[in-house]
Amino acid sequence: MANTGWDEFEIGAMLRSFDGVAATEIATTHQEDRNYSQNNSFSASVADWRIEKPIFAKDYCIDCQFCWIYCPDMSIISRDKKMIGVDMDHCKGCGICVEVCPTNPKSLLMFPEHAVEEDELASWPEKESKEK
Amino acid sequence: MAFDKMELRDIEVWDGNFAAAQAMRQCQIDVVAAYPITPSTPIVEGYAKFQADNYVEGEYVMVESEHAAMSACIGAAAAGGRVATATSSQGFALMVETLYQSSGMRLPIVLNVVNRALAAPLNVNGDHSDMYLGRDSGWIQLDAYCPQDAYDLNFIAFKVSEDHDVRLPCMVHQDGFMTSHTAQGVKTLTDDEGYGFVGDYQPMNDMLDFEHPVTHGVQTEEDWHFEHKARQHNDLMTKVIPKIEAAFDAFEKLSGRKYNLVEKYDMDDADVAVVCMGTSVETAREVATEMREKGIKAGVVGIRVIRPFPFIQIQEALKGCKAVATLDRSAPGGTAGMLFNEMAGCMYNLDTRPMLSGKIYGLGGRDLTKVHLVDLFTELQANVDAGKITTPLQQFIGVRGPKLSFL
Amino acid sequence: MSEMKKIKNLKEFSTSADRFEGANLLCPGCAHSIIVREVLNATNDDLVLSASTGCLEVCTAVYPYTSWDASWIHIGFENGSTAVAGAESMYKALKTKGRLKQPERNPKFVSFAGDGASYDIGFQWISGCMERGHNIMHVVLDNEVYANTGGQRSSSTPIGGSNTTTPAGTHSYGEKKNKKDMISIMAAHQIPYAAQVAPNKWKDMVKKIQHGMSVDGPVFINAVSPCTTEWKFDPKDTMALSDLSTDSLVFPLYEIIDSHELNITYRPKNVVPVEEYLAAQGRFKHLFKDEYKYLIKEWQERVDENWAYLNKREEARV
Repeated sequence: MANTGWDEFEIGAMLRSFDGVAATEIATTHQEDRNYSQNNSFSASVADWRIEKPIFAKDYCIDCQFCWIYCPDMSIISRDKKMIGVDMDHCKGCGICVEVCPTNPKSLLMFPEHAVEEDELASWPEKESKEK
Repeated sequence: MAFDKMELRDIEVWDGNFAAAQAMRQCQIDVVAAYPITPSTPIVEGYAKFQADNYVEGEYVMVESEHAAMSACIGAAAAGGRVATATSSQGFALMVETLYQSSGMRLPIVLNVVNRALAAPLNVNGDHSDMYLGRDSGWIQLDAYCPQDAYDLNFIAFKVSEDHDVRLPCMVHQDGFMTSHTAQGVKTLTDDEGYGFVGDYQPMNDMLDFEHPVTHGVQTEEDWHFEHKARQHNDLMTKVIPKIEAAFDAFEKLSGRKYNLVEKYDMDDADVAVVCMGTSVETAREVATEMREKGIKAGVVGIRVIRPFPFIQIQEALKGCKAVATLDRSAPGGTAGMLFNEMAGCMYNLDTRPMLSGKIYGLGGRDLTKVHLVDLFTELQANVDAGKITTPLQQFIGVRGPKLSFL
Repeated sequence: MSEMKKIKNLKEFSTSADRFEGANLLCPGCAHSIIVREVLNATNDDLVLSASTGCLEVCTAVYPYTSWDASWIHIGFENGSTAVAGAESMYKALKTKGRLKQPERNPKFVSFAGDGASYDIGFQWISGCMERGHNIMHVVLDNEVYANTGGQRSSSTPIGGSNTTTPAGTHSYGEKKNKKDMISIMAAHQIPYAAQVAPNKWKDMVKKIQHGMSVDGPVFINAVSPCTTEWKFDPKDTMALSDLSTDSLVFPLYEIIDSHELNITYRPKNVVPVEEYLAAQGRFKHLFKDEYKYLIKEWQERVDENWAYLNKREEARV
């Protein structure tokens, strides 16, 4: 939202989360069906915060949803109990998803921001053998 | 209706506190969050008794401090309903932070301030220190000179504050003890008339409207703060006075009682005038009339609307005078009194303007007597006769000890 | 009373639609956000929220952006709890007067505040709300410092924590006073429910939040929020730190029902030595110097004593 003049906004520095009427039950309406206002931070991006990014190797994922619940930035997209991807507009690259992923090899790994997804998926690490 | 109405007599004998409590009752407030402090406590107590006797519906929250009182009022106002509270002095000082917060958030709240001195030393009596502390808080501020005013101005306060073009909180000031604890005849409105004047509360940006979730109380940094404060000031400077004047007109039609931004008494041809607030206004009027009989053309300017400051109206009232004195009832803290400075500010650029001097009086409930005012008008006339101010610009009146004057 | 959302397992929980949005200004890895998500997702009811001045508020409501999909208010530092108490009072008033816009809805009133805002400057305000019995939930995001302003001590800061106003130095080991037992103090207000939660134990947290939202009256929740910036650990390790907090029993998970029934709700299979918890954080690294090692021993003793005390209370049902 561009910096407007003193006469161009609603009083009290009040902000609206949605344009018009919010869905009857926001709590059961997923992001893609919401009418976010331009003042909702959903409409913004923090992609430029990242120096590392997670890449998702779907084949190894067991849909445990640890990444979904422990992501501080609502950037693990889960629909119908399946992990479907990472929201790269809102991911800050903290790396928690990788740490909590229980699969072997992990289904999420951190790579430098400029890494090419196909290349990394093609050379995904092997299953680690646990030496006792 | 789940609460009882009260049959009032045409004239009731009420003190300023009870008058304010009655007005609050008639306005059917949704949430009152309050804390007791002398001398405003009887407002809170009166309202509590109304609730206990089923004369009010709605929530009455006895919070644990004045800061909490205004905080709860802000939460309730943002949720979306009619809100009010009352306080004085130390309590007012404690809630000062929340005064700025509520006006910045553009929430309608009515605050009855029963003016009392600020410690230290501790004092429970009436003066205007608390009023002066809240000057810059961004609230609309009205001044009651007597219990009738305290009653009437509450209705004005709700009506103006809640208007969607205004949405600013409003204080109704009255002198501690001198008005709040002095009973006089108060002409009443019926419950229907009183409520009918303020009308139903019309919500705006209300948090309890779940179909339109809103965020109140954001942070604005160097890229936005100035615009938001500018907007608040713009609305105070341009939107409020017309609404107050319209409310005053409507109130006159309803009750026959007319209020004005600036209460001029015998000012048309006045040579000398005092500018003051609170109970002093009525005393000054009596003395001004007596001075007239002695050949001194005296008048009185009472400030009715303290904020937004009626700059133009005061210029109009005073510019024809030859000598004016301001009466400030607050410890000036190392400078000229607030009214002196504000009068000077609004008259400085006039082509012709009166001589201006000021008095500090009545601190901590010290009486202002007619003798003080006779001396004052006499002094102003002496200034007129001499063609210059014959006294220091700031004099303390009514204090024991050697004569205290400055500037 | 509307039915509480049924959450059998994490997969079911993952069908929640968050009412908190990204692209906010919180640090990468911030536990506040994880806690907020778990709390908000615990219910499908409408919410009226507040935050006191602090990391959460400052990072999620900077004009022109809001990260909140429910009505939300910030007034100041001390009074977030009183803000929702005021809103809750208005809700009750409008309900009585028949003026609610959506009368069939059952909103929950939740205030979020840091430990600084809750244990220190907002103590009186929360105490007042708890005493008056408002139907609100106060959630403390406890990172044991005033994080938002650069990490100054609060009365939640534990012994030996180094921060900017009680820093470790040549003649000091940092904070000298023990952490205030806020949960006991709030429980003593005779509120129906008080509990300690941690983001790693999501099921425990959700169960407690749901219980808190279903009882009538004020609820106090203390949530440990490991802070990557002020506790000084890598952002990716937030959940590992949360695990260490609960498994070392530094942050035991328990609840107090009706001010006198204490239940321990998590017993770690393997209790981790407190030393491991301390070793994982930069704010305690000076404790590993020879002259301060005794403090680590004292830490373990305090944690053990507290755990024994909680167990005794649980057994005695007081």
